[in-house]
Amino acid sequence: MEKENEIAEKLKKHLKNNVFEVKIPRERRIFVKIGKTALKDAVKYLVHELGFTHLSTITGADTSEEIELIYHLAYKGSIELSLKTTVPKEKPVVPTITDIIPGAVLYEREVHDLLGVAFEGHPDLSPLVLPEEWPERVYPLRKEYTLEKLRKLTESTES
Amino acid sequence: MRYGSIIKVPFGPQHPALKEPENFMFEIDGEIVVGVHPRIGYNHRGIEKAFERRTYLQNIYLAERICGICSDAHTTCYTQAIENLLGVEAPPRARYIRVIIAELERIHSHGLWVGIAAHEIGFDTLFMYVWRDREVVMDLFETLSGNRVHYAMNTIGGVRRDIPADTVPKIKHGMDFLEKRLKYYLNVVQNEQTILKRTSGVGILKPKDAVELCAVGPTLRASGVKNDVRVDDPYAAYDEIPFNVVTHDGCDVLSRIIVRCEEMLESINIIRYALDNMPEGMIRVRVPMAVPPGETVSRVEAPRGELIHYAKSNGTTKPERYKVRSPTLGNIPALCKMLMGAHVADIPIVLAGIDPCFACMDRMTFIDDKTNKKWVWTMQQLRRKTRK
Amino acid sequence: MGLDHATIKEKDKKMTTETFLIILQILVFPGAFFLFALAFLYEWVDRKILARIQSRYGPLYTGPSGILQPLADFLKLLSKEDIVPMAADKILFTLAPVFYAVLPLTTLFIVPVASQKSLVMFEGDLIFVMFTSALMILTVFIAGYSSTSRFSLIGGVRAALQMIGFEIPISLAMIGPAIAAGSLSISNIVQWQQTSLQWTVWLQPIGFAVFVVCSLAEMEFVPFDIPEAETEIVAGWRTEFSGRKLALLRLGRDLELVLASALLTSLYLAGPQQVWLIPPVVTFMIKTAFVVLMFSLLRAIFARFRIDQMVSGMWKYLVPLAILQVILIQLGIGR
Repeated sequence: MEKENEIAEKLKKHLKNNVFEVKIPRERRIFVKIGKTALKDAVKYLVHELGFTHLSTITGADTSEEIELIYHLAYKGSIELSLKTTVPKEKPVVPTITDIIPGAVLYEREVHDLLGVAFEGHPDLSPLVLPEEWPERVYPLRKEYTLEKLRKLTESTES
Repeated sequence: MRYGSIIKVPFGPQHPALKEPENFMFEIDGEIVVGVHPRIGYNHRGIEKAFERRTYLQNIYLAERICGICSDAHTTCYTQAIENLLGVEAPPRARYIRVIIAELERIHSHGLWVGIAAHEIGFDTLFMYVWRDREVVMDLFETLSGNRVHYAMNTIGGVRRDIPADTVPKIKHGMDFLEKRLKYYLNVVQNEQTILKRTSGVGILKPKDAVELCAVGPTLRASGVKNDVRVDDPYAAYDEIPFNVVTHDGCDVLSRIIVRCEEMLESINIIRYALDNMPEGMIRVRVPMAVPPGETVSRVEAPRGELIHYAKSNGTTKPERYKVRSPTLGNIPALCKMLMGAHVADIPIVLAGIDPCFACMDRMTFIDDKTNKKWVWTMQQLRRKTRK
Repeated sequence: MGLDHATIKEKDKKMTTETFLIILQILVFPGAFFLFALAFLYEWVDRKILARIQSRYGPLYTGPSGILQPLADFLKLLSKEDIVPMAADKILFTLAPVFYAVLPLTTLFIVPVASQKSLVMFEGDLIFVMFTSALMILTVFIAGYSSTSRFSLIGGVRAALQMIGFEIPISLAMIGPAIAAGSLSISNIVQWQQTSLQWTVWLQPIGFAVFVVCSLAEMEFVPFDIPEAETEIVAGWRTEFSGRKLALLRLGRDLELVLASALLTSLYLAGPQQVWLIPPVVTFMIKTAFVVLMFSLLRAIFARFRIDQMVSGMWKYLVPLAILQVILIQLGIGR
C-alpha cells in the first residue's frame, strides 16, 4: 500500500483543496474525487508526472442531480486510479483530455452519446453506438429514461 | 502521392470479411487507404441498462452472454467485482478452477482467431487444421461444464462445478496433443513464404502509438510493451502460478500471430501447473442477496486484452450502475492508426489482427429485447442504408 | 457419261454419313458432351483432393463418393432466380457468362483428347490458344465492368492486372515445345513427342514449371485467386451473377481446368497415346487427372498473394525463367 499512499499524497499536494475525497479500499485501487475545474490539470499531472499513461475507460453515471464522470487510469498496467468528478445535469460540459491521451477519443464519444455530456475540444463527437434515427437529446443511460419510455420514444420515430 | 480522385469504399455492416457487423468507411486512393471512419453499434443490446434492472445473481447470466468467445472472462470480472463489494473472497480451490477455465478459454479463443486470420489471407488449409485441433478444447469444455460455449462455471462466491479428479488425465492428454500441434503451427507461421508476405510488415503499430492510443492485449504486446493484467494486477490464483508474459518486437500482424500462438503455449503450462497444485477445499461460499453500498473496479486479462468492469452498489439487490469496457473498444483507435497507409487488400487481415469482438464492444444502452419487431426494423434500416 | 442416280445417291449417302459423324464427334465424343462430363469429373477431383488435404470429407452423398455433386450444383443453379442488377449493362452482362463458358470449350477442340489428332487442327493453332486465353481474361474484365458494383469492378480490374503478369511467361512456355517439335500445331507437338519418344517435360523442365505456375494464375487458383478474393471483395467479378449465368460461370471455370490440364498434357506430357491395349483417351484422362491433382495440391498449401506482389513476382521471377528456357532451347538443350 506504500506506492498507493505515495501517489495519493503527491496528488493531494499538487491539487491542494480541489481534492474532495481519497479512498484506498485495497492494494492497487485508488478512488479520488476532485472538483470539475481541476480535471484537466489532474489528468496532466497523473499522465506526465506520475506515469499513469494508460486510460482504461471513462465511466459516466447518472446520480439524479448530477452526472458523475470517472476516469480510470492505470499505472504500469498495475495500479488503477479512478478519478471522479461531477457535472450538473442542466449543463454537462467538461474539457476534453484527448490532447493529453489520444486514446480517450472513443470513450468520450461514448459518454456523450449515451449520457449527453459535451467534451469541449473533442475532434469529433458524432454518435458512436446509437443509430442515426435515434431521437435527439434522448440519452438512454440517464435514469429518467426507463425501458418503457425508451420504447415509446423510438416507436414514434420508427414510421 | 495522389494519382486521382479518392474513392469511398464501405466495409460493412455486412461483408464476408466481417464475422460481426460493424461499419468502416474507408477513403481509398488507388489501392491505398488514406482515411478511416469507424461507426460501431450494430450489435447494441442494452446490456448496461439491463444490468440495472436485474438482481446480482441474474446478472451473472447477462454478463456471460455479452460475448460467446470470451464469456468466462466477463463472468470472472463480474463475480470478482461483486465479491469485492461484498467483502468476500472466493476459496482457494475456486480460484484455481477459475484460472484453469480462463486459460482454456484463452486457448480456444486464440485458436479460433488463428484460423480466421488464416482464412482472411486465403490460407484455408491452415484454417481447417487449426479449427479441427481446437475441437479438443471444446470437448474438454463439454466434459467439464456440459457446454461448448457459455460454460456457466463462475458464480458470486466461487465456482459452480468442481473439476473431478478423473477428468484431470483427460485434460492433461488434451494439453499434450495441443502442445505438439501448436509448436507445428508456430513453425508454419514463421516459415511459410505466402503467410510471411501477407503479414510481415503489415499493419504497423509503433510502441509509442500503442501506449498513447491505450491499446490492450496481444495487440499491445506485439508492439513490445510488456503489460498483462494477470501479472500487473493479479486476480484469481495468478499470483501463485509462474508464467511468462509473451511480447514481440515486430509491431506487425505477424507479431500478433506469433504472440497469440506463444500465449497458447503458455496457457498450456499454466493449466498443467494449476492442475498439479490445486488445493483441496470448498468451491464456493454463500453470499447475501443485497450488496452494501460501495463502488469497485475489477480487471481481467481476457483473450483480447484488458477487460474492465466498474460497479456501484446502493444497498439493494440490484446494481446502481454497471459499466463494461471490452478490450476491442480499447483497440479501435490503434486500429485506425494501423490502417492508414495500408493496401485495400490488407484491410481484412489488419482488422482481424486486433481480434475484434464486436458483440463484446457494442453492448450499450439500447432496447434490449431481441424478439420484438424493433430489432428487425433496425436490421432492415441498416440493409437499406448500405445499398445507398 | 455423267453420274447416274445410283452413284450420286452413293456419294450423297457417304457425305451425309461423314457430316453426321463430324457432328456427332463435335457434340458428343470427344466433343462437347464428353468435355462437359470431364469438366464435372475434374471439379469433383479438385474438390475431393482439397477436402482430404484439409482434413474434411468433401462431396460425399450425391453418387458414389459424391462424384455427381458438381452436376447437382450445376442443375441447382440453373433452376435459381437470375437477378440482373439495375445499373448493369444488360447486353454485356448476359453475354459475358456465355463467352466465358464457350471460349474454353472451343479451344478444347484444338487439343488432342482422344487421339494424336485433335478435332480441329491447323498449323498455328497454338497461337489460336494464346488468343483465346487473352479473350477469356477480357471476358472476365467485361463481366466485372458490366456488373457496375464496387466489388465486381475491383475484381475485374484485378483480373486484367493479373493477365499483365502471367500472359508473357505462359506464352513463352508454350513456345518452347513448339520450337522443339518444329511446329505451331498442338497435334504435331504431341505427335513429335510420341514418335521421338521424349516428353517435353524432361527436356524443358523450367518451361514446365513456368507453365504450371502461370496456369494457376490463369485459372485464378490460390495463390492467385486475387480477382475473386472472398474475404476482400465478396466474390470479385462474379459477385452479381446468379442463376443460369452463375451456372455458366461455374461450367466455364471447370472447362478452364480441363483446358489447362489438357494443354499441359499435350505440350509437355505427350498427350493421348495408345499404351498396349489402353485406348488413347484413357491415357489422356490419367495424365490430365494427375495434372489436376498437382493443381489441387498447390491450391491447398499456399495463402493468397496481393495483386502487386503477384505482378511484380511474375515479372521478377517468371519472365526471366521463361526467357532462360527459350535461350536454352536455342542453344540446343531441350530440343
